[in-house]
Amino acid sequence: MTATGLRAMLGVQWRTHRRGTLVWVLALIALMVGTAGSIAGLYNTPEKIHTYAQAVTAGDALVVINGRVEGIDSLGGIIADEFGFFAAFLLPLLGISLVALMTRSEEEAGRLEAVLAGRVARYVPVLAGLTIASAAIVVTTVAFALGLTAFGVPATRSILYAASLGTLAFVFAGFAALLAQVTLHSRGVYTWGLLILAGAYVLRGVGDVTKTWVTWLSPLGWAEKAAPFGDMRWWTLLIPLTVACLFAALAVLVAGRRDLGSALVGGGAGPARATSWLRSPIGLATAIHRASILAWLAGAVILAGTMGSLAQQFIDAVLGNPAMAAAFGVSGAQPVDEMVALTQLYIAIIATGFAVQAVGSLRGEETAGRLEMQLSGRLSRLRWLAAHGLVIVTGVVIIVLVSSVVLAAGMAWSMGTPVNLGLVLWAGAAYLPAELLVGGLALALFGLRPRAFPAAWGALASVTFIAFLGPGLKLPAWLLDLAPTTHIGSPPLGTVEAGQLVVLGAIAATLGVAGAVGFRRRGVPQS
Amino acid sequence: MTAPQPVIRAQGLTKTFGQVRALDGLDLEVTPGEVHGFLGPNGAGKSTTIRIVLGLIRASGGHVELFGRDPWRQAATLHERLAYVAGDVALWSGLTGGQCLDVLGATQGGLDEARRTALIERFELDPTKRIRDYSKGNRQKVALIAALAADAELLVLDEPTSGLDPLMEQAFQEVVRERRKDGCTVLLSSHILGEVEALADRVTIIRRGRTVTSGTLAELRRHTRTHVHAVTVDAPAGLADAPGVADYVSERLDGHADSRFTIDAAHLDDSVGRLHAARIHTLTVTPPSLDALFLRSYDGDAGPLDAGPLDASELGEPAEAAR
Repeated sequence: MTATGLRAMLGVQWRTHRRGTLVWVLALIALMVGTAGSIAGLYNTPEKIHTYAQAVTAGDALVVINGRVEGIDSLGGIIADEFGFFAAFLLPLLGISLVALMTRSEEEAGRLEAVLAGRVARYVPVLAGLTIASAAIVVTTVAFALGLTAFGVPATRSILYAASLGTLAFVFAGFAALLAQVTLHSRGVYTWGLLILAGAYVLRGVGDVTKTWVTWLSPLGWAEKAAPFGDMRWWTLLIPLTVACLFAALAVLVAGRRDLGSALVGGGAGPARATSWLRSPIGLATAIHRASILAWLAGAVILAGTMGSLAQQFIDAVLGNPAMAAAFGVSGAQPVDEMVALTQLYIAIIATGFAVQAVGSLRGEETAGRLEMQLSGRLSRLRWLAAHGLVIVTGVVIIVLVSSVVLAAGMAWSMGTPVNLGLVLWAGAAYLPAELLVGGLALALFGLRPRAFPAAWGALASVTFIAFLGPGLKLPAWLLDLAPTTHIGSPPLGTVEAGQLVVLGAIAATLGVAGAVGFRRRGVPQS
Repeated sequence: MTAPQPVIRAQGLTKTFGQVRALDGLDLEVTPGEVHGFLGPNGAGKSTTIRIVLGLIRASGGHVELFGRDPWRQAATLHERLAYVAGDVALWSGLTGGQCLDVLGATQGGLDEARRTALIERFELDPTKRIRDYSKGNRQKVALIAALAADAELLVLDEPTSGLDPLMEQAFQEVVRERRKDGCTVLLSSHILGEVEALADRVTIIRRGRTVTSGTLAELRRHTRTHVHAVTVDAPAGLADAPGVADYVSERLDGHADSRFTIDAAHLDDSVGRLHAARIHTLTVTPPSLDALFLRSYDGDAGPLDAGPLDASELGEPAEAAR
């Protein structure tokens, strides 16, 4: 088969997706190179590097989160370790999202039909999407390798490390292309892609802790086993490359053979009537947000469960080694509290992510034209917004409380002693004002500047960056203070000042009210 | 139903989106009990007008009343009395058609159950299928059924039949007529002239955000000219100078008089009398179609309809006119 229309298709895909692709690539490069630079500045003597290496290899908790980095006693090793958690999610996500956007989303929107009616073979859009995603991954990889080299990491090791991350992204790009053929909607591509990614993360963690072959089952493990700062196993890159090519080839094959708009996983019949619950504004809002509440909850529960069940290892590591504690940014004096505080920060970020995404889906209701239909009835704008606000806030609370319970249960199981559930719950609940503040910001954007809504995602990314990497990178205090999570006081480890919570809550409420007022005054739909 | 004031009254509406002037002094009046056709080319401002009337967006200037009230301030209260089908029907892809019907019905204060059942049957809709598995036409049907089954005084339909096949289009027209018999007022924005011609009591034609003309179809036709082609045994006497006649051309063909002219509606009877006196062999009288009105109103920078009579060449039959 000749790739009829590949050039034209590449042009179309690039033209329609170049902005999003560039933002993704540039943001990722900036984040990775910037972080590497900060680490290089922080660990600028062999002694400091050695201390760090001693600390993180002392126990299994950090190994689960960041992976077992071979050759950690070097600047590159520290970067790889610090980056372990982020790289494990961001690079696969780069592959998944670019491919999903350029394949199933286009098909779902019906745009692909117009393209395929022209002189474009059926499998070409997938091929074009994969090509552009691969180009984006290569650019990111090269830039990262250059950045690492510039900060004093040996060039060959930089290249191998960057390549191991790049091939990781390839695997998930190929996998997403295949998912795009078998699921009917782009949501399915994300959901299944992220589920498999979470599975890969768990497998890598289990393998690293048990030091067994299990690591080799995970794409994240393949990247780790390239050992760029240890033995430099170049050949391991062949595994992800082969797998990625297999996935991609299969996707192209299926795309060429299936009907447009079809999927291997289809939908069946459903109820002919709506329940009175679904007819109510709150019932409909619940139906709209239910899937995403469950997805974010699943993420938070997996994280809390993993952290909780490793509590004993964490405590052993921290108690036995002050340097280890320092690597966590904690004192090591109250290991149980430190464990809870660390996990709750992660949970808070997940809950905040849900809030931003849920408010974003209101914007989705508007741009799709469904909001207009609803507001043409006797439902007032404020009641509509209130119903959604209530469901979203409930979702945030559910995510925080359920994963707190799971964390406490996991800890109790791991340590063999009862855990103060109230303390864990309180630590989670204390973050609610910070979570709602970011959600309120998203709502204000929705109400006042709906077209600028992507800025809410920017805010989430900034808060995440400051919360996780800020203290480690010793960012200036004013920068740390920009993130609402900073003001919570790291419960139960630190003291929570009620005044701070009230201020955060008041800001959140003000933003929410501003959003509601703006929404009431503006035209719907505002394109 | 017997409310004295118009159901919808818009005067001098303007709306700007940034630099774009979407509406530029638009007038629209819909009286109770009528089906009002709302016509205009793409981008003329039909959907914008409808959204302002519904209080979804706010006019930049001018005056608008819905049931005699301000739709922007009292949107939710006024909406109890109407049902709306948007131009681009978007529904929740995870819900079934039946669920969407009920959800939309709930926003309108409930559907008439008997009518809901009857309409599902009439439009041949499978209510157990999920929206994402429906075709565009079937999604359109869901929104239409929800609006037509609602107990509304006013139906606002924005190009409601764009995805329907001719059979369903037929069913739609029947149902709209029934609803009108029940006393319902209908604002029907449409591109399908046959549909408007079949349903509308009055029409408003807009172009570039302004009302070009408004009135009953008969009134609109009165401003335009009927095209007559007659073959008579004798040459018709005095027709060329008869009142109301224009573009008169007559020649002898195969022993008959072949005459063509245009005539305004008021003088048709007189000129046909003269043709009759000349002994009619064949006679073709072509009234101005809505298409002609439409094209005339849309065309370039042509002024409002009542600025002057249309000439025959604009009224269709281009092949003959060109000869």
